[in-house]
Amino acid sequence: MADSRSSGDRHLLLVARKPRFGLPTACPSCLPVYLYLKLANADFSVEFDSSFSDADHIPYVEYGESVALNNEKGGVIEVLKEDDILDLNAKHTSLAIPDLVSTKAMVSSWLYEAILYELWIAIGGDIAHDIYFSDLPWPIGKILHWKKIYDVKKLLGVTKVNCEARELEIYKKANEAYDALSLKLGDQVFFFDNRPTDVDALFLGHALFVLHALPETSELRRNLLKHDSLVKYAEHLKAELQLDSTPSSTQPSSSSKDASTPSAPRRKPSSGWGSKPNPKPKKEKTEEQKKFRRRAKYFLAAQLVAVLVFLSLMGVSSESEIDDEDAVDYDEE
Amino acid sequence: MANSEPVPPDQAPPSDSEEINGTDETFEEGEDTEYEEVEEEEEEDELDPVKERERLKSIFRRLSTDPVHVRVHDVVIKGNTKTKDAIIEAEISDLFKTPKTVQELVAAASIANARLKQLDVFDSVSITLDAGPTELPGTTNVVIEVVEASSPLTGNVGVFSKPESRSWSLEGSLKLKNLFGHADIWDTSGIFGWDQSLEISTGVWLPRFRSVPTPLSARAFLLSQDWLKFSSYKERLMGLNFGLLSTNNHDLSYNLTWRTLTDPTRMSSPSIRRQLGHNMLSALKYCYKIDRRDSHLRPKSGYAFSSTSQVSGLWDLRGLKFFRQEFDLRAATPLGFWNTALNVGLSAGVTLPLGRDFTKLSTSVPDRFFLGGHSSLVCSLGGPSSLLGFQTRGLGPTDMRRVVNSNKDEGSVQSDGHDFVGGDLAVTAFADVSFDLPLKIFRDAGIHGHAFICAGNLAKLSEGEIKNFSPERFLKTFRSSAGVGVILPTKFCRVEINYCHVLKQFEQDRGKNGIQFSFSSPL
Repeated sequence: MADSRSSGDRHLLLVARKPRFGLPTACPSCLPVYLYLKLANADFSVEFDSSFSDADHIPYVEYGESVALNNEKGGVIEVLKEDDILDLNAKHTSLAIPDLVSTKAMVSSWLYEAILYELWIAIGGDIAHDIYFSDLPWPIGKILHWKKIYDVKKLLGVTKVNCEARELEIYKKANEAYDALSLKLGDQVFFFDNRPTDVDALFLGHALFVLHALPETSELRRNLLKHDSLVKYAEHLKAELQLDSTPSSTQPSSSSKDASTPSAPRRKPSSGWGSKPNPKPKKEKTEEQKKFRRRAKYFLAAQLVAVLVFLSLMGVSSESEIDDEDAVDYDEE
Repeated sequence: MANSEPVPPDQAPPSDSEEINGTDETFEEGEDTEYEEVEEEEEEDELDPVKERERLKSIFRRLSTDPVHVRVHDVVIKGNTKTKDAIIEAEISDLFKTPKTVQELVAAASIANARLKQLDVFDSVSITLDAGPTELPGTTNVVIEVVEASSPLTGNVGVFSKPESRSWSLEGSLKLKNLFGHADIWDTSGIFGWDQSLEISTGVWLPRFRSVPTPLSARAFLLSQDWLKFSSYKERLMGLNFGLLSTNNHDLSYNLTWRTLTDPTRMSSPSIRRQLGHNMLSALKYCYKIDRRDSHLRPKSGYAFSSTSQVSGLWDLRGLKFFRQEFDLRAATPLGFWNTALNVGLSAGVTLPLGRDFTKLSTSVPDRFFLGGHSSLVCSLGGPSSLLGFQTRGLGPTDMRRVVNSNKDEGSVQSDGHDFVGGDLAVTAFADVSFDLPLKIFRDAGIHGHAFICAGNLAKLSEGEIKNFSPERFLKTFRSSAGVGVILPTKFCRVEINYCHVLKQFEQDRGKNGIQFSFSSPL
């Protein structure tokens, strides 16, 4: 495979969803990242996360003390490029860049939406359940599944009124993307300059998922099968990369982590509990601010204690007065 | 009352019935002859109050000292328009079967009064021992008169500190009492904790349900806790809690909870990051507690012991599976001078995953033990948690938080420190000497001082670390602190103001010398 610019021979750890359907990871968001590392001949191992179905930070890649999360800076692949860890596009000439960027944008948007629609809305629950919820206890999995379907419908703008129209639009765009990619690919092994790029990783992940995970009744799968060049491209690279064998992976050692979970769309954080758009690490407070806050806390606490002591002492002295007043000379009775 | 000529109220023999309501007591005899003698005597001495008092005293003396045999003929319940008779009878049925003398009957009536008041659905409870049927001498009827709560809806706001919580909390609750006449109490409560925890719950409490003699409870709750500052995660729990058995010493409950751990800051360490996600906690928890100390706020003698066992994994194989055990032993003894007392305590806890190859499995972070915080050493009873001088979750195993390359060109990196990930084994110990302060006004208010020394340690046993565990190293790495302080027991809460000096800590620990405040429940 092509050389890639990488920051030393550091070992990378990819945390993704569990494998299924003969794929090293069955999640359509995790598979491109896995393939990117494979195409780059990176030294990496895989761990599977089975308990965070609605996490949008999965997949993530740990390298040293840093981590590239999927919900930052455009995704794991972009972060790896930006941090000079792994960049498949480094060797390509500048002339191919505009074409590469637009192709990537088409794959990341039209084809990604098509998979989301097919997996969560068109087909039904079984495949999504197998990938994301099968290892979660039933009530949790069910609720998260419903929530994910609602989130996807909201993201894609699918309503009861426009469902059919929206479906036609999504399939039409996917078909156009397949046509364009088929023309672009031709007889080549890769899309650009006969070298793998992140577009190859993205589209290969999409194609393998559509061909192997979606059922035969899937409209998207039928459309992809009409493009022989794309199917051959996917099967050829699958064999080349030896994706049939289970990746050397380790299960997380937590006793309770078995289920896989749906990942939110990459471009937009999910409305789940776990995400916040673009959080930044806290800036360190200055020493002065810390001191001021500490002194303010002591002051307030001292005020509170003083009030409590005053009330207690007042209570004691008033009780002793009442005792004196209530003293009755029982001997007089 | 015994059958007799109607007597004007002001001349009625006041000693003919006993009313146990905490105010006045008079006795009643079931024997007609004695009553007639009393009546005759009264007619003679009706204008002599001194002789009347003497007569009453002699009757009291006889009833209190001599064994006057009596049998309960019937228990009559009055005043309960909503509450079922069976509920009241179930509370008192065992008390009036066995007493044979008046003294025992009076004692049983006191206990019955307390039990009925404990149901918390009556405004007042009055128990009268009345004369039995005239054809059955030596019998008495027990008349229980209750006044049901005029307003079934009550509200409550207060500051509390529960043993399992890390700090004090402000609680508000609304209670609806006796909705269905089974002394059922429905309540909705909201708790805001100082450690940024929030809990909303609603539940029902029944004193007994059909053949189950002990109280039952069911509760639905939603709890959110923020541990971002200490361990880089937020915890949200949603679930059901069922109290299956509750007596003075034993408590058995079942908990079904959906727990979610998230990290909105995205700065967590790798070990915390792997713990994020959803889990189902299906656990049975048994707690045995015995407290023979003379006071909860300032014990000077006695001992206390508690043991809590928890087994999780009862739902199915996909839920959290672990076993957790805690012990807590306290003892107090007076030192014999200046009203000082020595309190000592030792607590330990361990949590282990369940399953095949359990030594290699990991435990869930919220189920581990954390030490630190300002909870009172003496008052809190419930496992290892507090270590004065250290911040909440301020010691033990850590993991480095994420490193962010804030400026790639300059190569600067930014890390937010360490996450405290807790330990699977925890041990704490303390010794505390309490003493009176010199000024009388402080002594009268209950304000006293104390000097303490405490120590504690955490160790990881899961993920294969149990093989590397060494008791000697565990003992050598104990953290410790000492200090003095003043305790102010106020009506609202118990305040401790301590100066702590950390004697031993390690690099990543967050121990700090200085003044600390602690607030706990006044109860």
